[in-house]
Amino acid sequence: MILAIIENAFLSLIGSAIPASAVVMLAATGAMLGERVGVLNLGQEGLIGIGAVYSVIAVLSWNVQSPWLAMLIGMVAAGVAGLIFAVCVVAFRASQVLVGLALALGGIGLSNQLGVNRNGTPIQTLFREVNPGGLLDNNDAVSAFFFHDPVVYIAYIGLPVVLWFVLFRTRHGMNMRAVGENPAAADAVGVSVTGWRIFYSVLGAAITGAGGAYMVLSFTPTWSPDIARGRGWVALAVVIFAGWRPGWAVAGALLYGSMISLDTTAQARGWGLPFMGASDLSFFLSMLPYVVTLVAILIPAGAVKLGRRVRSTAAPAALAIPYSREER
Amino acid sequence: MTPLASIAGAVLSVTPWRLERRLEVDAKRAALTRIGGAVGAMIVVGILLLLTGRNAFWIFWQALDAIFGRQRGIEGVALRAIPILMTALGVALSLRMKVWNIGSDGQFLMGALAAVGVGIHMDGPGWLVLILMAAAATVAGAAWILVPALARAYWDVNEIITTLLLNFVALQLVTWSALGFWRDKAAAVIQSTREVPFTLPDLPGADSVTVALLVPLVIAAVLWWVFRSTTIGYEIDTIGGNPRAAGFAGIAVRRRILVVMLFTGAIAGLGGMLQLSAPGAQAMNAGFSAQFGLSGFIVAALAGASFWGVIGGGLFIASMFYAGIVLQTKGLSVYIIFAIYGVILTGIALGEIAARYRVVRRDAADETEASAADAAAAPQGAGS
Amino acid sequence: MTGDSKRPSVEARGISKAFGGVAALDAVDFEVSWSEVHALVGENGAGKTTLCNILAGIYRADGGQVIVDGTERDFRSPAHAIDAGIGMVHQHFRLVEPMTVAENIHLGWPETPGVVSQRALIDRTERFMGEMGLHVDPTAKIWQLSVGEQQRVEILRVLARGARVLILDEPTAVLTAKEAEELFAVIRELAASGLSVIFITHKLREVLAVSDRLTVLRHGIREITRPTEGATASEIARLMTGEERVLDVEHRAVTGDPALELRGVSALNDRGITALQDVDLTVRSGEILGIAGVSGNGQTELAEVICALRGLESGSITVDGSDIASMSVRAVTDMGVGHIPEDRIGMGMVTSAPVKDNAVLHSYWTEPFSQGLTLNRHSVIDFAKRLVESARVQTRSIFATAGQLSGGNQQRLVARREALVADRLLVAAHPTRGLDVNAAQEVRSTILDRRDSGCAVLLISDDLDEVLLMSDRIAVIYEGRIMGVFDAADADREHIGLLMGGHSIAEAVA
Repeated sequence: MILAIIENAFLSLIGSAIPASAVVMLAATGAMLGERVGVLNLGQEGLIGIGAVYSVIAVLSWNVQSPWLAMLIGMVAAGVAGLIFAVCVVAFRASQVLVGLALALGGIGLSNQLGVNRNGTPIQTLFREVNPGGLLDNNDAVSAFFFHDPVVYIAYIGLPVVLWFVLFRTRHGMNMRAVGENPAAADAVGVSVTGWRIFYSVLGAAITGAGGAYMVLSFTPTWSPDIARGRGWVALAVVIFAGWRPGWAVAGALLYGSMISLDTTAQARGWGLPFMGASDLSFFLSMLPYVVTLVAILIPAGAVKLGRRVRSTAAPAALAIPYSREER
Repeated sequence: MTPLASIAGAVLSVTPWRLERRLEVDAKRAALTRIGGAVGAMIVVGILLLLTGRNAFWIFWQALDAIFGRQRGIEGVALRAIPILMTALGVALSLRMKVWNIGSDGQFLMGALAAVGVGIHMDGPGWLVLILMAAAATVAGAAWILVPALARAYWDVNEIITTLLLNFVALQLVTWSALGFWRDKAAAVIQSTREVPFTLPDLPGADSVTVALLVPLVIAAVLWWVFRSTTIGYEIDTIGGNPRAAGFAGIAVRRRILVVMLFTGAIAGLGGMLQLSAPGAQAMNAGFSAQFGLSGFIVAALAGASFWGVIGGGLFIASMFYAGIVLQTKGLSVYIIFAIYGVILTGIALGEIAARYRVVRRDAADETEASAADAAAAPQGAGS
Repeated sequence: MTGDSKRPSVEARGISKAFGGVAALDAVDFEVSWSEVHALVGENGAGKTTLCNILAGIYRADGGQVIVDGTERDFRSPAHAIDAGIGMVHQHFRLVEPMTVAENIHLGWPETPGVVSQRALIDRTERFMGEMGLHVDPTAKIWQLSVGEQQRVEILRVLARGARVLILDEPTAVLTAKEAEELFAVIRELAASGLSVIFITHKLREVLAVSDRLTVLRHGIREITRPTEGATASEIARLMTGEERVLDVEHRAVTGDPALELRGVSALNDRGITALQDVDLTVRSGEILGIAGVSGNGQTELAEVICALRGLESGSITVDGSDIASMSVRAVTDMGVGHIPEDRIGMGMVTSAPVKDNAVLHSYWTEPFSQGLTLNRHSVIDFAKRLVESARVQTRSIFATAGQLSGGNQQRLVARREALVADRLLVAAHPTRGLDVNAAQEVRSTILDRRDSGCAVLLISDDLDEVLLMSDRIAVIYEGRIMGVFDAADADREHIGLLMGGHSIAEAVA
């Protein structure tokens, strides 16, 4: 009996965590894609904003009826921003940290400016939930766990599997990893370091943009300022926690998401503690996702320092280091 | 050569000039190209405004008029400059060591929060409470960067994301204080903490600017002296230049990183107290910081390693910030300021790169190239 | 095999290359035949690597032609050269450390299947290794391999892409004597199968042992091309060095006080693996103790433990009788221990800082530069000026960054700076690596001056000639152990070479 209650609580916690952190999952995948070829894009926060606002514009101003098309428009917009970023840092070799922060700032500013007249307008063009196989009945916890819209399946299953397969099971992925680990070695065997870095930065930015689009097309179907609320930074942290492995990003994103849904569940049910009222507890819980994410970053580093060396979780060796043949 | 540099090279190849990489980038030229990049970015912004149907010249004129046309404008800039300069000085100090403290917003907020805590709970002579508020803010700012600093110094965890995540925690904590534990129950509508009953004295002749403006100037002067004339400054610069060489020279690198990071947090935290002690700003709410930390970061990036550059850059960014607030009434939103920040920061980053190249006449052979040949003539050299 | 065996596989005609007005190569002619091992010989800076980089498509020549198997070529990138059948193995390997041998061989190779499993890559690699008769564990990650094995992976990678002309840049610099022998056997086999091998070296013994013909370059000009048969080492040496002054070193049997003593010292490397095992050494005042050995046998760690940059697992180190095990780096330096580090750019200087700041890197906290907290800029500037002058560092100004100095000038600066720090002991790790002849001579003179004024010197070098030239006594290190210590007078080159390769004294003497 008690076990069943705990099981139910756990299922519904994770169940509501899944959509809550789908954005983080997509942004983490986008960031990881760039980082695997050695490009650190700190601008995830801005890219989420750009992807979201252009999807909103597509639906509200351009009358786009399909959520897929609206998402694609958001992805293209974020991809263009990613291209500007990539040209600056890869071709011109500008500081990835500076331009990344510029993208974060600029993206937040631009999206807020574009969204300013659309605050709070509800969005009707939404992704619909799918019931896998029609086999499940509408039990509360179970449905929370399994009934999601298709983007969720793509974010948590499709993309990680594809990314893992490409990275570790194809010639192409092998070359990608070489670009991120040792661009001089890749260059020496004829892999175009510059071309690949620009391409995957742009693709990664578009995937992060899809995360922003998902926010307004499913999770919170309306525009509000500062829409990313730190999810872009959390995504960057999730990549570190995951040790640049696609599968582990799922765990990182869900960890963050369950903290979010713990907070919302507590608010909705008016939970309190003997020494802390419901509203104070809610304030406290709202800090938790960021704190837990911070602790999660420290885990791999701590494991290495405390003697359990895990070599496979190290960052790509050439991450954030510009490459140029002449400087060898 | 990078592809775009080679495109530029191809364009130049029909002219008597060509592009060449400098072996050495001197600080003055780098500062000039950074400023050039920022100015270029402003021009790009102006063109974008024109393209979206806004009269950039009119906006620019309005901004200048709003700032320099009246005393309130100049004081408005000075008021914004205080928090921006404080966070910028903290970031600039960390950049001397190649550490990116992006959490100065959080440290700023925690400093202010600690100051509020002291200010609303203590009775006593105003000067004493203000000093205690400053002390509490300094400690709180340092405490807020303690975990990222320890992680960076002893576990080699990159500080960019750890410091940034704590900004969100600080913001939630401030919101909690304003709506929860220190809420001003007398004024139920305004969601902010109770007001601190003490303020710093005004500067002579000023209406609203307090002596707080002197604090960043004094800190800049002290930091300038430290880096010019002390072994501590030499050691920090050595760590920034090459941590292994610093270890070789017997500098306790990890401990220095920890201490310097704590100092950067302390400066930002003190900035929070200064902001709080201005008349009319004596309580905290969720909008207390207005992203001063990010503005400060831009200033530090623009100024490079120079603390006097921070003062100049800080006044420039504060002017922009103030202009943005004033122009809100004239059809621009405050959001656009952040978009402009993004463009400027990109301009600075590109300017930094531009300093590494120069255009030379084809037939010119000079000492720089001679030393390039010298280096190339020893291909077995270490680290090639 | 490929092409007409009578015409040259590669021919360079009148190749010139200048770096900013200074000629690195001046109208050099060079040709290699099929089935030939061709040694390209010269001092550091003679232009050997520049010439080969042009043949391999890394640099483009300012003038002249490159003709491959009868066809003139203009390579724009290494990929073009590979397509034409020219492959180069660089001195610094271009391998991806966290990836496996099989993955590295298949990297960037159009013939790699699009979808691959580790299993398939390993099978392909094994098949290929069988064909070539060269073997490395294909499942091993690069960082787990010895330097010799890594080199073999590089060679396999080049051959896999169908290279018929193989260029090896100083391939033995990092190998043990045994590994070098194995490499020579591979080279001869490749040549016998029809390939051309260009072998860059400055070691005369290797030239005589392995090549069919040799070309000597000096100051960017070809001195001679001739068959190796009938050439003598002294003749080649004369062509290489011209009339350069050769340092004359007098070896001394010294009975000074022991300045440095190591007893049973063991230490770990950065990967946590034992790098020094039970090392006993004594260096006396006024003598140079040379450490002979192939790079990577614990020399780096040896220098670091003595300078307190690395902790000990066990044992004791004393300088002038005081135990330094628990001392800080600073305290050891203050005892008069100077250190010319192996990696001068990575550890010995701050290239982004001015020359003047680098001049006091190892002494800025002492009088007269520092009084308490403050740094006296005037005394730093005065000192830097004198240092630059006495070390003959060529620099525009002491306010210019150290990064703009050439390698030779950087090392002059570091060597003289450390010599001034070293009152009691100077640890010099590979002090002349990568330097041209003049700079090397000056750095050696600086070290000898120190010895003559009574300082103890520990000289670490992987250049056995340098160790034999400079040392009063010689210790051989292999896998972190001291294999034997000899007086310079009794030192026998072959004997030491065997010890460097891991043979015991008994084996070496037998």
